[in-house]
Amino acid sequence: MGNLQAENASATRINKAPTKAQTSSIGLNINGVTRTFSPSSPDMPLLWVLRDLLGLTGTKYGCGIEVCGACMILVDGQAQKACDMSVSEAVGRKIITIEGIASDPQGKLVQAAWIANQVPQCGFCQSGMIIAATAALKAGKHGAAIAGSINNLCVCGTYQRVLAAVSTL
Amino acid sequence: MTTTNQSQNFTRRDVSKMIGTALTIPFTVGLSTREAIAAGTTTAALGAYLKIDALNNVTIAIGATEMGQGILTGLAQVVAEELKLNWSQVVAVQADASSLSSNPFANPLFRAQLTGGSTSMRGWYLPLRKAAAVARDMLLAAATQLYGGTWSLTTGGRVINTTTNATHNFSELAATAATLTPPDANSVTLTSSFQLIGRRVPRLDVPAKTNGSAMFGLDVRVPGMAYAAVLHCPTNGGTVASAPTSAVGATNVINLGNAVAFVANDTWSAMRAASANASQIRWTLPANLTSRDTAALSAAAKSLVASPNATTHVYENIGANQAQAVSGASFKIDSTYNLPFLAHACMEVLNCTVSVTSNSCEAWVPTQGQQFLIPTIAAVTGLAASAISVHTTFLGGGLGRKIETDFVIQAVKVSKAIGKPVKLTWSRTQDFQNDKYRPNAAIRVQLGCDNTGTMKGLVYRNVSPSINIQRNTAPGNNPEDTGAVAGATALPYDIQNRLIEYVPLPTDIPLGYWRSVGESYNTFAIESAVDEVARASGVNPLQLRRSALANDARALAVIDAVDQLSGYSTASLPAGTGKGLAFLKGFGSYIALVLHVTGTAAAIRVTRAFYALDCGQVINPDAVEAQLQGGLVHGLSAALWGQVTFVNGMAQVRNFDNYRLLRMAEMPVVKSTIIQSSASPGGVGETPVPVVAPALANAIANLTGTRLRNLPLYPGANMGEGGED
Repeated sequence: MGNLQAENASATRINKAPTKAQTSSIGLNINGVTRTFSPSSPDMPLLWVLRDLLGLTGTKYGCGIEVCGACMILVDGQAQKACDMSVSEAVGRKIITIEGIASDPQGKLVQAAWIANQVPQCGFCQSGMIIAATAALKAGKHGAAIAGSINNLCVCGTYQRVLAAVSTL
Repeated sequence: MTTTNQSQNFTRRDVSKMIGTALTIPFTVGLSTREAIAAGTTTAALGAYLKIDALNNVTIAIGATEMGQGILTGLAQVVAEELKLNWSQVVAVQADASSLSSNPFANPLFRAQLTGGSTSMRGWYLPLRKAAAVARDMLLAAATQLYGGTWSLTTGGRVINTTTNATHNFSELAATAATLTPPDANSVTLTSSFQLIGRRVPRLDVPAKTNGSAMFGLDVRVPGMAYAAVLHCPTNGGTVASAPTSAVGATNVINLGNAVAFVANDTWSAMRAASANASQIRWTLPANLTSRDTAALSAAAKSLVASPNATTHVYENIGANQAQAVSGASFKIDSTYNLPFLAHACMEVLNCTVSVTSNSCEAWVPTQGQQFLIPTIAAVTGLAASAISVHTTFLGGGLGRKIETDFVIQAVKVSKAIGKPVKLTWSRTQDFQNDKYRPNAAIRVQLGCDNTGTMKGLVYRNVSPSINIQRNTAPGNNPEDTGAVAGATALPYDIQNRLIEYVPLPTDIPLGYWRSVGESYNTFAIESAVDEVARASGVNPLQLRRSALANDARALAVIDAVDQLSGYSTASLPAGTGKGLAFLKGFGSYIALVLHVTGTAAAIRVTRAFYALDCGQVINPDAVEAQLQGGLVHGLSAALWGQVTFVNGMAQVRNFDNYRLLRMAEMPVVKSTIIQSSASPGGVGETPVPVVAPALANAIANLTGTRLRNLPLYPGANMGEGGED
């Protein structure tokens, strides 16, 4: 069972034994709206709350171990990996997902740069990419400094166009 | 499972053999169209491919799967060209899977609804243009019937009266057009003045891929659905001996035979229940673990590649006395190249959403293999094909993995067992450890040339597992696995004496089609060997290739274009920079790549990449360039780090942390030249990948003098959040 142990060890958020207890209702500020839901447990990662409980599926599952960045969201303006943020950690924070990025002034700029440079191929990693670029722009970075702060994985290899897009920001 | 053979009767290479089959254009006005019109809808369908709505938007149904390569856009461009549409009125959708024997969404090249082998534009370019021209003629005839006079096509989805200049929108004509008998598709006139073909029109799928609305398989939500996670046996090929019937955290536990599904109210709970209850599953291990051990397989390959007694299949025997031609040459090399098993590692893990009822099944699948799904689901459920519908979602990468049916079968079984819709998702670890892997290979190349760089003889011996033999699609004892030697046969080089041999390597590790398939290993061996013999003879590797391609004008043009772009033959590079060239004629295209590298053999950095490509008629240069940039990344990740090892059947890969891929900070600058051509379109998706590894090895040899023949160059690499550690 060595491999299963490895799987458990790497999937940091799924290695606790499940319980039957349902957690009571929680409200989170997501894309400017308070969304109320009942997570399956207080340590349920925000990624799966967004995707499965709230239907905000633009935030992607890629690795579950904080390596790929496909699950990035903005938390109080900073890029966070939603696979490693529990719902209880998110209470009281302002969360923006890719679905709400156009209402963010910097997010709108990033989105426009992505379209102008025709960045996406399959598109699966692009939500996280756009979030990472938006967070860097919000932190006052521009051009190459934004590029330097993006470490998201893209198997299609859109990096050259990500670089082109952020060079305009 | 009986469905398995069904799903494997078509392979990419079978598909290649069917190229040239006479085509008829499926273009009929379906009954459903007339019913829709009778019911008073304002949307009229013209044949299978076109729908025109009241706002004069034209929706084009595309049979090929969009997995990042831009094919929805490219094929829509082709249709819009013949109809003179404005790009803003074009909508493209994925066609559902069809079980019709005259499936209008089967690629006309091989008559199957699947996407692979870089065949979509090759198969659809002319048939879709003809279909659009048929629709055009029907719309013009409808205008005459409705308004009298003669009409011609003008821009923006309109027809114009040739006398009065009055215009009407397609939307005013479509319902009437749909009642007319289509003209013969082979008699229609195609436009020769392109407004959209060859232009950088924006991709239709980009906006949805920047705002979270693009619907991947993983994003499908069906009312009332449950969520399932699966566990396969940690030892590859193991089957379920016993599984619990219930488990804490799961609403259902389903024994799938090859895996156990844990069902819950969300994906995370399902995955957690799977992990927490894994120890309750008892597995029956496969009898032979050696055949699933990569160290044992590598040793067996090395032995077979050197053994004259191995069962050997000769795929090309050109000229005579090839071994003598090599040994008698002034300069010769005898090199063996070793390549590993590879995983697909699509960003989107395998998943399927399905709703099975007592009399129907509806599935939403990120699939490249629509052709196989309805028969597969019919076999699992016992339902008639007509009761099954399969929708294609966007794919978060396909790369050859999503042509398979294993994950779909599992989801169908779970939905059937629990009596409600389910979304079944593989964890990243399950996805890595239960892939259909790119075969490993040991390839011996003996190659000789004279002192002017003329290649005299080639003896090529490939030892690798056969996808066809494993899937039982090989007739008799003949592996019929031309795919296993693709990239080594039909070489464009003028080598008078050539012997191309293939030795199947038995293995039980599951094999599959990995972007560029046989070329992904054979081109590494061929292009490394050509470079080695050039270096041995002192002839410029580019000039050696040039003289061997003297009779192939398109190949020469590509070589010269990459030379001009990169300065390979003329420019002096800064000290500490190496250059490497590789060339491929394949997938209906010609491609050459020059890479520049710096550093040391222990720590190489690829700084620049120069591609030249002749893919015939270019439909969308922006999409082609994207494939070159992305193909480079895919090829570099594989060449530098890509490797899956098994120890006694247990896959050692678990997640991206020990399957390193290129990060953006490591991205070389890519420049490209795309040859202007009016030749038939060639493939673009796979073409850029096979040349990467040999160009890299050749550049490293140029820089360091050390020839690297084993991939990956840096085995055992890890990847943390910082990109490397």
